[in-house]
Amino acid sequence: MRTRLGLTAAGLAALLAAGAAFATPVVSTDAVLPVGSELNGELLDQPTELFMFEQAGGKRSYLFNLGDMLFSSSAIFGGKARDAGMSCNSCHQQGAANPALYVPGLSGRPGTFDTTGAFFNPKADNGVFDPVTVPSLRGAKFLAPYGHDGRFSSLRDFVRNVVVNEFAGPQPSEQTLDALVTYIHEISFLPNDKLAGGGHLTDKASEAARRGEKVFNKPFPHEASTSCATCHQADAAFVDHKVHDIGTGGFFKTKTLINAKYNAPYFHDGRFDSFDEVVGYFDKHYDLGLTEMERADLVAYLDAIGDADQPTTRNSVQAELDELAAFVSVLDVAIPARDKDVILLAVDSVGAEWREIGENFPDRKDTSVEGGLSERLKARASVRDLVLTLRQVAMAAEAGDFTQAAQLYGDYGRLAADAAPRLKAAERWSLFNPDVHARHFAALAKLAALGK
Amino acid sequence: MQSFFQFSRGALIAAALTATAGAAQAASMQDGVKSYKPFVVEHIGKAIAGAKEMQTAVKAGNLEAAQKAWIASRKGWEAMEPVTGTYFGDLDKLIDAWPDGKTGYHAIEVVLFSAKKTEGLDTQIADLLANMDKFEKRVTDKKFGFAPQKLLEGTANLAYEVGEEKSGGGESPYAATSIVDMQENVEGIEAAWKVVFADTLKKKDAKLAVLIQERIENLETLVKVTDIKSMDAKKVHIAGEELAALMLQAAPKLGLKPFKVGDEDGDKKDEKK
Repeated sequence: MRTRLGLTAAGLAALLAAGAAFATPVVSTDAVLPVGSELNGELLDQPTELFMFEQAGGKRSYLFNLGDMLFSSSAIFGGKARDAGMSCNSCHQQGAANPALYVPGLSGRPGTFDTTGAFFNPKADNGVFDPVTVPSLRGAKFLAPYGHDGRFSSLRDFVRNVVVNEFAGPQPSEQTLDALVTYIHEISFLPNDKLAGGGHLTDKASEAARRGEKVFNKPFPHEASTSCATCHQADAAFVDHKVHDIGTGGFFKTKTLINAKYNAPYFHDGRFDSFDEVVGYFDKHYDLGLTEMERADLVAYLDAIGDADQPTTRNSVQAELDELAAFVSVLDVAIPARDKDVILLAVDSVGAEWREIGENFPDRKDTSVEGGLSERLKARASVRDLVLTLRQVAMAAEAGDFTQAAQLYGDYGRLAADAAPRLKAAERWSLFNPDVHARHFAALAKLAALGK
Repeated sequence: MQSFFQFSRGALIAAALTATAGAAQAASMQDGVKSYKPFVVEHIGKAIAGAKEMQTAVKAGNLEAAQKAWIASRKGWEAMEPVTGTYFGDLDKLIDAWPDGKTGYHAIEVVLFSAKKTEGLDTQIADLLANMDKFEKRVTDKKFGFAPQKLLEGTANLAYEVGEEKSGGGESPYAATSIVDMQENVEGIEAAWKVVFADTLKKKDAKLAVLIQERIENLETLVKVTDIKSMDAKKVHIAGEELAALMLQAAPKLGLKPFKVGDEDGDKKDEKK
C-alpha cells in the first residue's frame, strides 16, 4: 500500500528543469483533483514561518495552537477539498504564497486560483473564469481589507468565507474562527536587513535601490499629487488600505511590498511574473516616461524592500516533531474540558499529519532508496503506533470515557517521546535527506515517462 | 470459484470457509493459520493465472485483454496483503515496487494504462511471473506455515493502510483501479480475521469480537463503491484506523503480544538479500 502522488509530463519537465524544486502533479483519473493538479506539497525548502509572539519573546497560546492545527487540517473544509486532503496550508504554504499551485480548470496559471468556480463549491459558482493569485498571509494583521477586491473589512469574515463558500465547509464554530484568526494575526513579515523602521532602506541596500527609492517617491509627470508611494505608503507596510482602478479590469486593493519578492506572480490575476514587468506596466499605463536606468533602479528598490533574510527553511524531522507537539497540545486542554469536537478534530488532523510524516520514510517497496531499511520501517511503525493510539483517544472520547481518553493520551506522550529518536535515526534514509528525496522523485519521474 | 468476499455475506460464511480455506472454521488459532494457508495459495494462483493471461494478451498485442488480465492478477495479489509484506518482503518489493518502475505491477501498469501500449513488456511480465512462482513455491512448501502473531500484525497493518490518504488516486493510479485494490484488501482482512482469530476472541472477549466484526463490515460497505472519487475518504480513514486499533487491543486477549516498534528487526535479513 502506498499513497504518493505521481507525475505528469509537465511535472517531469518542471522536475528536470528546476532541480531541487520537486513537484507531484496528479496523474490518476481516479484522483479527487483533476489530472495535472499541483499542490506543491513536497518541498524540502519551505517558506520560512515566523510569528510575532516569537519575535516578542512570547509563547504559543491554546488558541494559537488550535488555529495552527486547523490551518493545516482538511477537516474544516467540505466536499472535494476535504476529500482531497486540502487545507489552508495547501494554498498558503507556511502562511506564504504558493506560486506553483495549479488546478486545471480553476487556475489561469500557476499560483492562481478561481475561488468562485464550480469544482469545490457549486453553490458559489459565479459562471466567470476569474482566477486570482494566492496571497501571502505574512503581516495579514496589518493589511485590511481582505480579498483582492477588498470585499471584507474583517479577517474573521474573510476566513469564514474561505471555509464555507470557497471550500464548501460547514459553518465554523466561534472557537474555530477565533483560533484561525489568532493564528493568522501572528504570521509575521520576514526580517529584511535592507529595510528599517518606517519603510526606509538601510545601508545594506544597493546604490541602485537608493536611486530607485527616489523614483518611487517622485510625482507622476501627469498627476503631480501621485507617486508610487501614494498608495504604497512606506511607513504603513506599503499599503493604503484602499482599492484602486489601475486599468486591470476593476478595483483591486493595494498590495504590500514587504517580502513581495516571494509573492509572484503579481497583480490580482497574476498576469506578471517579475518586478520588471510590473514597473513596465506602470510606466506605460501612467505614461511615466522612465528611462532605462530609472526602471532598473525602481526594480532594484522593489527587490530590496521585498527581500527577506531567510526566505526558506529546510524541513527536518525535528521541525515536524516540534510542529506536531504544538498541534497535539490542544488535547492538554480539550480532554480535561471534555471538548469532544476539538478532541476529534485534533485526532483527525494530527493523525493525518503523522501519516504524511511517515510517508517520508520509504518502505521496502521503494527500491529507489538504498540502506537503512530497518530504521525506516521502525520509523514507520512508530508513526503507526502514534496514529492508532490517537485514534483510541478519539474512540474513548466518543464513548464519553474521558478518563480513558486521558490515559491513552498519556500513552501517546510516552510513545511520541520514544518515536523521536527512531525518526531521527532514520532521517538520513528519508525524504528529509535531499539525496534520497532526489532519488525518490527521479524514480517517480521515470515511471511517469514510461507512460508516454 | 466464487470469491471469499462474495461468499462471506450473511449465511454463507461457513460454506465459504469450507470452500475457500478447505476446513471448517478454526477451533483454535493454530488450526486457523493452517486453514488460512489455502486462501493464500488460491490467491497467488489467481495472481499467476492473471499474469499469464496478460502475457498472452501482450504477445498478441491485445491491449484491452492485457488491461483486464492485469486487473484480475492484481486482485489476487491484493487479497493476500496481510502476508505479502510480513512473510514475503523480498518478493513483495519486486512484485509491487513503487515508484521505481524497473519491475513489478506498476512498471507494467503505467505502460498498459497510461501509454496504452503492449510493446516492451515481455521482460517485466516474465520477471513478475518468475517472482510469483517463487512466492507460490515458498507458500506451498509443506514446511511453510503462518504464525498467529505475524498474521495479526499483517492484518492490522493492512487495516491501518486501508485508511491511508487515497485522494491522489491510491495504489494503482494509472489504472485508476485502486478501489478494487481496497476491496480486495478488505476481503483479505476479513479472511484472515474470520479464519484465524474470530472464534478465539469470541471466547475471550465477545464484546470486542463483535466490535471488530462490525468494523470489518463497515469497511466493506464503505469501499463498495465504483471508484475512489465516490468513496467517503474520511469515513474510510477512520474505519481503517478504528479496526486496526481494535485489533491491537485484541492481541493480548488472544494470548499474543501487542505490536511494538522493533518487531521489524527481521527485515534486516531482507535488506541483505
